Amino acid sequence: MAWFGMRPARSRGALSIRSSVVVCGILAIAIAFLGRAQASIFDTARAKLSDITAPALLEVRAPLVALENWVVGLGTLFSVYRENLELKRENAELRRWQDVALSLENRVRRYEQLLNAVPEEVMPAITARVIGESNRPFVKTMILNAGTEHGVRKGQAVADDRGLIGRIYLTGERTSWVILLTDLSSRVPVVIESSQRRAILAGDNSPMPELDLDLAGGTATPETAAPGDRVLSTGDGGLLPAGVPVGVVVKDGYDLRVALFAGSAGDYVRILEYGVPAPPSATASSAPASVGLKPATPPQPTPTIAVSTSLPPKPVAPQAPVGATETAEDR
Amino acid sequence: MADPIALNVSRLLGSFLPGLSAVLLVMLVNLPVSLTGGLFPAPLLALTAIYFWALVRPDLMPPFVVLCVGLLEDLLSGGPPGVWATGFIAAYALVDRQRENLAGLAGGAAVLGFAAAMALAASATFALTWIMYLRQPPLAPLLLASVFTVMLYPVVALILGWMHRRAVGAIRMVR
Repeated sequence: MAWFGMRPARSRGALSIRSSVVVCGILAIAIAFLGRAQASIFDTARAKLSDITAPALLEVRAPLVALENWVVGLGTLFSVYRENLELKRENAELRRWQDVALSLENRVRRYEQLLNAVPEEVMPAITARVIGESNRPFVKTMILNAGTEHGVRKGQAVADDRGLIGRIYLTGERTSWVILLTDLSSRVPVVIESSQRRAILAGDNSPMPELDLDLAGGTATPETAAPGDRVLSTGDGGLLPAGVPVGVVVKDGYDLRVALFAGSAGDYVRILEYGVPAPPSATASSAPASVGLKPATPPQPTPTIAVSTSLPPKPVAPQAPVGATETAEDR
Repeated sequence: MADPIALNVSRLLGSFLPGLSAVLLVMLVNLPVSLTGGLFPAPLLALTAIYFWALVRPDLMPPFVVLCVGLLEDLLSGGPPGVWATGFIAAYALVDRQRENLAGLAGGAAVLGFAAAMALAASATFALTWIMYLRQPPLAPLLLASVFTVMLYPVVALILGWMHRRAVGAIRMVR
């Protein structure tokens, strides 16, 4: 039964079609290599397209996300009781750790005051809404509803409440694209917290990116990286702010991978307003005569700029230039 | 006797339908959500439309349209431009070469015919990505997306077949 079999139509000019196929094939390959070498041409078109479709994406996403949550939630229906018990146990443990953390925080604050330590700069952030996600065989990206008119710049780090998600690789006026840490072309400098060993987190489109420790000329040993070690971002290369939690090391055969803290993206993410500090020579003329450690100041709440879906964009505080953020591999 | 103006309008609309269906499928799979919670990559439904129309109405699915659909797929998915366009053109070339053989298939064999086109498109894309990034891309997501697409082919082919009979095919009879 030919229930989806077909009968061909008689094609006209078979030779011309075949030559067209060859021409289009060559054109497609040329575009692929041109796009790799001169990404800005296609990035501009992509940014314009996402700017135009952003309102529609926002409208379409809400009901679809509800449906997605419902479909995904079906699978967890039978494990709710077990998960609830697990969460209660975890909650009790976390309360204990919270006490420890508060006690340590107080102690560190006192030490900092005693030592006149330079306080860590509070990193401002832009809160943006996720309006699109792409889960394709070779691509893992996300579209946000904040663009250049909200102060978003190429190279900025994107994180959720748990950890680093990726970085901005393309900005439109009202939208921006995030290359996720799991994307095939993502390379991010990280550090193993316990050993302070530098490494590169290399995405390969799997849920857990690979931890490449061989770039610095060494190999992974239990002393440098062990399963369970926390991985943080570094400021190396001026690409990302240092100290943003990324994930924990897990062993995968002979390889080391990182189980990311940031899970599947929620509705909102933070775009970290990170500016590469100017080199000392550039600021020497404007530096005050007495360069010393300032007294510590109590921590301030992190200023954030929320990007609303209906309100006009809010003004953004002046930012430091981030020219150096594009030194790393870009699309 | 049918109104010649109405016939011309319907013929014009029908001639846009194959390309339009491919574009709509590209937009459908690039909706900003995954119903599998990100577990499976989105299928390449546009290839089903390209395969179908390249078999039954190659005059309405010329290579240039296939190139444009592939570029749109690349643009909307956020991937490097030209990668899936190359894959789609490769599948189109196979259909163009083997049109008589592929169109004679029915039932499960027709699905296998599409699976061959899908495999060729995926292989071309895989090879091009490997060359471009100078490292081997992961095979598993591509295999999953390919299998997912082949599984959905009968459903999409039924809908496209209905469109072919109702709109596009009717225009051919008028000629």
